[in-house]
Amino acid sequence: MKALFPYLLVAPAVIYLLGITLYPGIFAITQSFYAVKFGPWRPIGFQNYANLFHDYQFWGALWNTFVIGSLSLALQCVIALALAFFAYRDPWVRGWRIIFLIPMLFMPSAVAFIYKLFFLDARVISDLLIRIGLIESNLAIQSSVWLSRSLLILADVWQWTPFLFIIFVAALQGQDEEIEEAARLDGASWFAIFWNVSLPLMKPVIAVALILRGIDITTMFANVFIVTKGGPAFGTETISYFIYRTGFKFFNFGYASAASVIMLILTIVIAQLVVKRAFVSSRS
Amino acid sequence: MASVRRSRSESLFIRYLVLGAWALFCLAPVLWFLSIGLRPRTEIITPQPIYFPTFSLDAWHMIWEDWPMAKYLRNSVLAIIGSVVIDLVLAIPAAYSLSRYEYRGRDDIGFYILSTRMMAPAIVAIPIFFLFRNMGLLDTIWALMLVYAAINMSVVTWIVRSYMLDIPKELEDAARTDGASDLRILWEIIIPAILPGIITAAVIAMIFAINEFLFTLLIASTPDAYTMSVALANFTGGSDGVIYNAIALVAFIAFVPVFVVVVAIQKHLSRGLTMGAIKG
Repeated sequence: MKALFPYLLVAPAVIYLLGITLYPGIFAITQSFYAVKFGPWRPIGFQNYANLFHDYQFWGALWNTFVIGSLSLALQCVIALALAFFAYRDPWVRGWRIIFLIPMLFMPSAVAFIYKLFFLDARVISDLLIRIGLIESNLAIQSSVWLSRSLLILADVWQWTPFLFIIFVAALQGQDEEIEEAARLDGASWFAIFWNVSLPLMKPVIAVALILRGIDITTMFANVFIVTKGGPAFGTETISYFIYRTGFKFFNFGYASAASVIMLILTIVIAQLVVKRAFVSSRS
Repeated sequence: MASVRRSRSESLFIRYLVLGAWALFCLAPVLWFLSIGLRPRTEIITPQPIYFPTFSLDAWHMIWEDWPMAKYLRNSVLAIIGSVVIDLVLAIPAAYSLSRYEYRGRDDIGFYILSTRMMAPAIVAIPIFFLFRNMGLLDTIWALMLVYAAINMSVVTWIVRSYMLDIPKELEDAARTDGASDLRILWEIIIPAILPGIITAAVIAMIFAINEFLFTLLIASTPDAYTMSVALANFTGGSDGVIYNAIALVAFIAFVPVFVVVVAIQKHLSRGLTMGAIKG
């Protein structure tokens, strides 16, 4: 009984999570071997997977998720590091933090509407750019794949750079000031200290922060759903939107489940290879 | 000496230029969106954007009188509070077990809980949709409550666990020699000692729950279960198109309480956001 006690304490949470991950996992795997449209399920073996393999929209969605996600993550990381570098020694660091935090506290669906209105419906940005003479007519964002992708990236950078900024500032503030002080007495510039001393020490924190942010970027949905609808020409369709569209717009549930299973396998591989290492090393 | 001073004031100039520019970039869209919420419909989508609109509370009246805003608000609040309660009740004992006992499989269990944070909502969306349909829970706030609790379970467990690891073991040992049971120690010593951590976890869970979009979109199909996050996407009125001033006001109604609690727990925010991986 004494030996079982810790298991009993952790069991309710684990059972709850198994119910909401293991059951759906098994369900999705089963369903992926059936043709599930309207009416009864019809077993079709690996047909869904074979079709996915030849589906350029599926590969496109994977590619879009990767391109949009990695560009957005890289931008956020560089900007957040720069801002943290300038802010962490500043006497008003708390004030900067509160201001920078604000975009992160809006609902993603609200942010999507802000950007939809700003760029597409009211065309405020086009108007401002015309006024200062940078462009001559309204930006045709909806007909350009790269402008549409840039819009999604911009909205994501605007909303989520503070996530990394807050973590980086905390990490920099937590570092031993004596090391910095010693380097400064040796005549090193602030930037040299940051680059050669602070940044290497921050590596584990940066890894954890980028992993968490990276996970959330790959699940980007509200912006796509509200701003671009995956267009033009499926150029901004992320994998989440692909699964949603296949399942809940075309009711092709078996096919969508096959895509989910592939995503699930990718997630587990990445979790084992990357996340485990980062989270374990960050606490040693 | 003079050159040192000049380079120092120059670096201060660059510092405030960069920080000020980003602050402007953060705030300009927010202020402009607020102005959308406080102007009449006719001044939102126009051939030329209107930069100095007339003040109007049209949208405020519209969301309460023409739309079931009170219902959206109630659904959001109930689903979020319910989910946070489920999370705390299940996660605190789990975190206690993970942080205080040595047993076989502990680290694997901990990592399993953590790994559910990585699951993209879209992966489980279809099975969960069928699950709730079979249970007759579609379009109810009960389903939302259960889903939000599941999404945040990993976050809450790991944050609470991180704070528990900070408590020195001697604190419990003294109580244990007095004959207190493990559960009493958890309730009377550990929980009061890590209250800031528990509040942080609850706030982070609340934010994720307010933001949740995909599951809510699938589960809620009528105003009976719409939350504010998904209600936004439904402020369209046929030929009227998207009703932006109502959307803007709802966005700010959801923003204000979140902003207040986040400022209150500011010190713990970095730790909460990294699920306890760094101590800020």
